[in-house]
Amino acid sequence: MSVIEYDVVIIGAGVAGLTAGALLAERGFKVALVTTGEPTACLSTGCVDVCSRDHKPLSGIHDLPPEHPYHLVPEKITRDALNYFQTAMMDMGIPYAGSAEENRFILSALGTLKTSCLVPLTMKTAPQDNKEGIHIVTFKGLKDFYPGYIISRRKNTKFSVYDAGVYHTMGIASHFEEKEFFEKFIIWLGKLNIDEDKIAFPAVIGMESAAEIINTIAILMGKPVFEIPTIPPSMPGRRLFNALKGYFRKKGGMIYWSWPVEGTEKAGRLIEAVATHSAGRPNSINARAFILATGSFVGGGLTATREAIIENVFNLPVHTDGPRETWFDNNYFSLNHGIGRAGIIADLSLRPADSPWDNIFVCGGILANTEILKNGCGHGLALATAHVAAQSCAEYLSNEI
Amino acid sequence: MIKTDVIIIGGGATGCGIARDLALRGIPHCLIEKGDFAAGATGACHGLLHSGCRYAVTDPIAARECYEENLILRRIGRKCVEQTGGLFVRLPGDSKRFRELFLRSCEEVGIPTEVISSTRAIDLVPNLNPEIEEAIKVPDCSIDPFRLCLLNIRTSQLRGGIIFTRHKVTEIIKSHGRCTGIKAVDQATGEVREIHANIIVNATGAWANMIASLAGSEVPMTLVKGSLVITNHRLTNMVINRLRQPSDGDIIVPNEAVCLAGTTALAIDDPDQLLTESSEVDTIISEAGKMIPHFNNTRIIRAFSGVRPLLKSKKADSHEISRGFQIINHENGMYSIAGGKLTTFRLMAEKMVDTIMASFNLKKLCETAEIPLDGQEELSGYPLSRRLADMKNIVCECELVTRQEVERIIRQTGTRNVGDIQHRTRLGMGPCQGGFCTFRALGIMNDMSVISPQQSMEMLRGFLQRRYRGIRHALWGDQLREEQLIEYIYLGILAMEKPE
Repeated sequence: MSVIEYDVVIIGAGVAGLTAGALLAERGFKVALVTTGEPTACLSTGCVDVCSRDHKPLSGIHDLPPEHPYHLVPEKITRDALNYFQTAMMDMGIPYAGSAEENRFILSALGTLKTSCLVPLTMKTAPQDNKEGIHIVTFKGLKDFYPGYIISRRKNTKFSVYDAGVYHTMGIASHFEEKEFFEKFIIWLGKLNIDEDKIAFPAVIGMESAAEIINTIAILMGKPVFEIPTIPPSMPGRRLFNALKGYFRKKGGMIYWSWPVEGTEKAGRLIEAVATHSAGRPNSINARAFILATGSFVGGGLTATREAIIENVFNLPVHTDGPRETWFDNNYFSLNHGIGRAGIIADLSLRPADSPWDNIFVCGGILANTEILKNGCGHGLALATAHVAAQSCAEYLSNEI
Repeated sequence: MIKTDVIIIGGGATGCGIARDLALRGIPHCLIEKGDFAAGATGACHGLLHSGCRYAVTDPIAARECYEENLILRRIGRKCVEQTGGLFVRLPGDSKRFRELFLRSCEEVGIPTEVISSTRAIDLVPNLNPEIEEAIKVPDCSIDPFRLCLLNIRTSQLRGGIIFTRHKVTEIIKSHGRCTGIKAVDQATGEVREIHANIIVNATGAWANMIASLAGSEVPMTLVKGSLVITNHRLTNMVINRLRQPSDGDIIVPNEAVCLAGTTALAIDDPDQLLTESSEVDTIISEAGKMIPHFNNTRIIRAFSGVRPLLKSKKADSHEISRGFQIINHENGMYSIAGGKLTTFRLMAEKMVDTIMASFNLKKLCETAEIPLDGQEELSGYPLSRRLADMKNIVCECELVTRQEVERIIRQTGTRNVGDIQHRTRLGMGPCQGGFCTFRALGIMNDMSVISPQQSMEMLRGFLQRRYRGIRHALWGDQLREEQLIEYIYLGILAMEKPE
């Protein structure tokens, strides 16, 4: 068994974990991040929803119920967290538009205007109302995007279909990184007579260089061009994850990929190590502090059994509304399922409440009472709580004798 | 207006069986179904082709009918019956006296059984509880009820039968006290069709009394809800029954890639208001888990309920009400056929058509037991090779359904209902329960201009709501995780709830 020593071990490679990791690495701590694999951020639209309850996200946060974990984050830190994110993404070559002051819309693949706050540059020119005419350019047989759904909600919408020779998101996206394919595509596109105000693509236009490609098309066509996020696999989500991962590594962080945590070593009120398994070999990663950023059910931080909800790494106490019958509302679309409130309750330093250990901090989707879908607060909450958790963790490490 | 000899109301196994029998005896007929085929009890059962053993003790007549029909269906319906064989397992504490009674009753009815040791039983079904005392081998089989209906209807279609699915009967036309026809509304367009005939057969199962009342008649029935769960895995290759008095959660049936376990029995009033309860799901799982311990930790992909349309009886425990059937002559040109089992649907159809033939004074005898079901030669079981040949164009990843397959069904049936595609291809039957592929199937239907963009949106919404009813009582573990992802996709990424 090998033993590896760190100041901090982060568990989970989502927006919260990678951000907390980058912040701590930046301050000179030796940081490792262990993850079972790709995070749910890869499935997301890549947009940072801060709080969709109000046109002004910060006012929206103010109106959240008192138990919402946003209230553990001072407003200034939320603002700083969003600025920090935008600077970091700019640095990694996938700039984000928007600011903490107001929300904006992106166009969803069902034709609705989805509220978000910080959006990839490729979605910046998405319509902000239902009036603008849109010409959608889609791809033959693309199985995760159907312009008909958008047309059902937006009258002045037309579409054209290009045959890319492949039918799935990843295949088309990688084609767009090839010069020859792109040139052929541009010639085809140039021949279209587009009368509508804007041109839209499903978000399959390239892997990392999407912003550049969109920009090139916009100049050639003389019209604003934007992307519509698709159902997973989501290219904008993947671009976000790759950029955050790159940023964390750039700051000196170390990632242990496909290393599921299978146990912990404890002494008194401290966790001393997490045991993981990789390539058939047990490893123990020692650290002075741990940040739990494993997400909710989809991310793998929580598991529901028929009887209870369990936190998977440290077996921390999990808050729930009640037994299984209370987890789901009768109306699927109510956005009011009890399961959305399950998670870990934390104090102002983002230590888990009633935890038997002093050196664990939690952030992101695993927190209780987030109701991410209802409040529209996914990545925004992850960024904000990552900053508080990193700050508390840094203070803890500095004061530790 | 259409004129025919016989109108059959109901496209379950019984109705489809009657259509086939009438077709083979050369009687013009028309079948009306308000949903898709097998939409009621037929499609909501566990897909067991009974050996009859389950009823040998309580209802020897029904048991004998089951066994005889079992032998016939195995012969005529090879492509919808899987000859799995079955076991009745006796767990520690289960009555030995019942075992004796069971064996004796099976012998009296004439169903072959074989007592085997627990070791031998576990050789046959390795997932069985190693603590079973012994097992009794019986000739149970699994059957695909939906395919069974389609194959029966096929014969009718080939011989000029008129079939309307998604048409709801709203009125029985009467003249001088006799039923002379019906009015049915096309559920998609609202168009009303008028069909006239000499005889009307009410084969609507749980809805029999409602249809009979349209003609001022009555069908006394007891409606008993039975709930079932579907696992993501095929935990057994044989049907597993519990060797005891019929009770909740005493059967597990393998079907294609999954298993169905059930059932429960609760009397209800309205067959259109079926709700599965969490407690039923828990009961089934813990009872099934006693026979196959893996059941406790296997992924459950759906829980659903069906209605057994049983003949009215004074017995308090609905597990004991007779599974026999009855033909009711309402003396006004309408007959109702009620009760019975999926296994005995052919026999029910035979008796019904015998009655019709007698009233028409015709002599031709029933041939449904001898002639194999039409259309089976085109079915190649589970054509995996064909699906894999078009791997890059898979629309439903769980069940490997290709875009071509979906397009073919849409062209063939002209359907505007995504459920029709699901029934015919298994699209959406896997672990995600249509979460990804229904979005795609509706998109394709819109691409092909079978439905408008607005309809695709409305149908997607309706589908998600219905899907949720089927899964919400079986949400924990990986299935809950998957459900949270699907919810995130529709309500998060796609912002479906946002008004325009």
